Amino acid sequence: MHEYEIRILSFLKGKKEVSFDDLQETGLGRDPLLWTIENLSGSGAVSVKKEQYVKAELSNEGEKYLGGFPEETLLNEIAGGKEILVSKAEKIGLMWAKKNGWVQISGEKLIITDEGRKIASGKQKYKLTEVLSALRSMKGGKLLDFIQKNKESVDMLIKRNLVETAIKSSIVSVSATEKGVRLLSESKPDKGVGQITKEIIARHTWEASGFRKYDISAPAETQYPARTHLLREFVNLVRLKWLEMGFVEVSGPIVESAFWNFDALFSPQDHPTREMQDTFFLSNPKQMTIEDVEVMDRVKKMHKNGWKEKWSEALASNAILRTHTTSVSARYMHKLSKAIDANYPLKLFSVGSVFRNENVDYKHLAELHMYDGIIVGDGLTFANLIDTLRRFYAKLGLDNIKFRPSYFPFTEPSLEAYYYDEEHHDSIELTGGGIIRKEITKAMGIDKTVLAWGGGIDRLLLNSKIFGMDSILTLYKNNIDWLRTRKSIRV
Amino acid sequence: MAIVAFDIKDFKKTGLEQPRIEDALLKMGVEIEEKDDNEVKLNITPNRPDLLDFNGICRAVLNFTGMRTPQENFYRIKKSSEPVLTIQVSQEMRKIRPYIAGIVVRNVDLSGNVLKYLINFTEKFADTYGRKRKKLAIGVHDLSKIKGNLTYTAVEEDSFVPLNETKKMKLSEIMESHDKGIAYSSTISKKNGQRFPILKDSEKILAFIPITNSEATKVTEKSTSLFIDITGTSINTINEAAALIACSFIDMGAEIGQVAIDYDGNADLTPTLDYDEMKLQLGSAKKTLGVDISEASVVGLANKMGYVAAQYGKSVLFYIPPYRVDVLNNQDIIEDMAIAYGYDKIVPLPVVGSADGLAQELMEYQNSVAEYMLGLGYTEAINTLLTNEKDEFDNMEFHDYDRKSYISIAEAKTSMLTMIRKYIMPGLLGSLRNSAGETMPQRMFEIGSVFSLKNGAALEAISIGFVSEHSKANFSEIKGSVEALLGFLGMKGYSIVGHDDPSFIEGRSAEIRKGDSVIGVFGELHPKVLENFGLEEPVIAAEIKLVGKVEY
Repeated sequence: MHEYEIRILSFLKGKKEVSFDDLQETGLGRDPLLWTIENLSGSGAVSVKKEQYVKAELSNEGEKYLGGFPEETLLNEIAGGKEILVSKAEKIGLMWAKKNGWVQISGEKLIITDEGRKIASGKQKYKLTEVLSALRSMKGGKLLDFIQKNKESVDMLIKRNLVETAIKSSIVSVSATEKGVRLLSESKPDKGVGQITKEIIARHTWEASGFRKYDISAPAETQYPARTHLLREFVNLVRLKWLEMGFVEVSGPIVESAFWNFDALFSPQDHPTREMQDTFFLSNPKQMTIEDVEVMDRVKKMHKNGWKEKWSEALASNAILRTHTTSVSARYMHKLSKAIDANYPLKLFSVGSVFRNENVDYKHLAELHMYDGIIVGDGLTFANLIDTLRRFYAKLGLDNIKFRPSYFPFTEPSLEAYYYDEEHHDSIELTGGGIIRKEITKAMGIDKTVLAWGGGIDRLLLNSKIFGMDSILTLYKNNIDWLRTRKSIRV
Repeated sequence: MAIVAFDIKDFKKTGLEQPRIEDALLKMGVEIEEKDDNEVKLNITPNRPDLLDFNGICRAVLNFTGMRTPQENFYRIKKSSEPVLTIQVSQEMRKIRPYIAGIVVRNVDLSGNVLKYLINFTEKFADTYGRKRKKLAIGVHDLSKIKGNLTYTAVEEDSFVPLNETKKMKLSEIMESHDKGIAYSSTISKKNGQRFPILKDSEKILAFIPITNSEATKVTEKSTSLFIDITGTSINTINEAAALIACSFIDMGAEIGQVAIDYDGNADLTPTLDYDEMKLQLGSAKKTLGVDISEASVVGLANKMGYVAAQYGKSVLFYIPPYRVDVLNNQDIIEDMAIAYGYDKIVPLPVVGSADGLAQELMEYQNSVAEYMLGLGYTEAINTLLTNEKDEFDNMEFHDYDRKSYISIAEAKTSMLTMIRKYIMPGLLGSLRNSAGETMPQRMFEIGSVFSLKNGAALEAISIGFVSEHSKANFSEIKGSVEALLGFLGMKGYSIVGHDDPSFIEGRSAEIRKGDSVIGVFGELHPKVLENFGLEEPVIAAEIKLVGKVEY
């Protein structure tokens, strides 16, 4: 008999039923315990009581749908007055909205039905949304009851690959059988020293008895060392690369005024991205004070001359969650105008969270991470910008990045750096950049050329050359098994 | 960004092969969003509304590939006759929607996809550049169905049959129940009593502006002459838009006629096709780009981008075509020179001048605390800052929270996002829930920003939270970890005092006090909290403020 088997049978002997937790007192870890119990139960030495339970796990798609099913999104758009043609409607949403009897097709147009109106107005809740969020939070016996009561909806969710359910079993208790007790008494433990002790070492006991041989094929306990999060590891790598290139790290506020996020960067006040759908405006605090009145006046002039539109201080004072870390670059251009002494060219970078008020999917989240950089100095050129970005991405392992023209209200000329993924035939946007418009540097109060760029951090992790993550949602789910066993960026 | 779709077969008329067109688009910065055998979808940046138009795309590609020269295709209006139409603008429009421009188009062929493209182009133009028709709206009518001269005015009420409808509707009814009325009602000011802008001829209403046209002047593929109205809040914008649209019809071989706009006796003619003049020194292009653009090549490069140009030694005169509404000053021309030269041909130049890199202390401080937590056996989690009151407060059994104590969001597309976090701990308990069924013990920590409101202003602080879930988790374990961490942080002169907190079991939680302030809490979480988060085993938790206020 194996040493582990003897250990467990000796522990069980004379006891009735022993719980799995208590069996850990034998000193065996979870994996060796399971292995040994399986062996003992196979030879009839122990009887095992098991419990079955249901486990429901949401797919990435399912997690995304918690924020709204595509059919709900479509319905709300139509109810909100948007005209949606059948050919242009999102296909999954349309299919289910039709199946649910929420919309009817009339020619090319979609018309909302009475049933659809009930849901859109909130008078009636969508059953699938309710069931999906309940599945996420329920456990154990409650979950089993719930699944039985809502079988139709649960089956639908499974069919749509939003949820997976599985029947699992776990060991409740183990007891020794008569056969087990007999086997134990008949077993003759191998001779020799087992666990080495301080005493054995001191007294040289092993010289007389020798060592017992272990079954080295028996499983060892799986080890889970604590790890840092992937995002910290990657952000630190990005920071290291900028630092190696002689950049100084800076940061700025996440809760920001529209002024530093938009106005200082020449984004017109009636620009669509400033509206609700793309920016998180705050209800508390609603407004923020712009301390420097002079810079505000200069920005006002820049807008009036450039966009030939009225400029409102109230709109600039709106409190928002910053939509890009370029707000930090704007703040530092302004700070430099007050600097008495600085060594140019000055290179600055920042990394931080940014926010977009948009629907989430596997590529987009409402919250992401960005880095921004600027180089401030005299005689800086577009060719310098291209060189800087090339070097940075080469350090991350993306050789031979390409550049194409792009547009941002705050740079001219502007570019976009991208990487062509040969394997997936997909071109991946890396960063947008350019030379900050003269209007802006003037308004910020510096008489220098500023090269500027900004790029997303999270989406780089989806790139197979860097990490190859399958969904950005995994990053913030913090499933401990993933956190413990994920591959490293550098190894 | 706006997406426009075109049939691939329509590009045949350019006489260019598909790969050559795609290459030109890429080099000009027009991204191909999607493509299949029949259709291509292009992503147009907001500065170039001329490219929302199929004719505009063809024109740009032909210029860029050298198949067309801007000087031989100079845009002008043939001065053959008097204005074809007059629009009388009533005085009260000044306060409502002041400006209008008109274009008359003759001998146009709208068969095939032409009409579809025209409608898509004008709608996208008004939607993006026109800020959802607020700043700019465009209406296209069949000229043959218009009788006499036009009046642009406002009325309290009237009725007509809107485009694609069969019954007459009142203007107020259109505002309330017609889908276009609902979508664009915000463009009409409700100040000083609501009056609805309309455009009418001698007999009937042509359009409820900027909401919908009338069925009476509907354009079909068979229409051969058109009238186009362009209305808005800025005279510059609508005149530029009129010129841009007129260029598109000229490219199609149609004839453009002018319309007289009578503002209070002063008549303006629209459209006018003017080429603004700008002078560029070659030296300043080099200074910006780091690229030598030779005297010999500059006119050719300008032509590639659609400019008519003349070079005198080191300076070049650019004539900006009327459809380019985005060229504000020299910087824009220099960018176009770079595009014509080719971004891929620009030789990278290293920035001259050495500098020392410097990491931010706050980041390195967080790194070293994180490293210490690994030593204590805690794995790092990172949660999003966006959350909601249920997760943040209610699930922690903290129901009586002050709505003025945290930062809340005005309106989110996803209803689950209503605030940014005040604490780290609730997010970590969510992480434990997402780890149900994984091997115990589960220990996780998170370091990051937390936000609160102090005297109405946002306050950002940095906190650490850590949680431990397993069958034997108890107060003593968390107290040990807290004391170890406080020791590592070099914290002295603090006291650990029992406190009341609905998140924890009474008598099994404590706060960490330093002077007058509480810098942290820890203890055994109450089973009600565990149930709220769907956790099955005992959980101990701590949260400690590392930096009381982050200053920028």
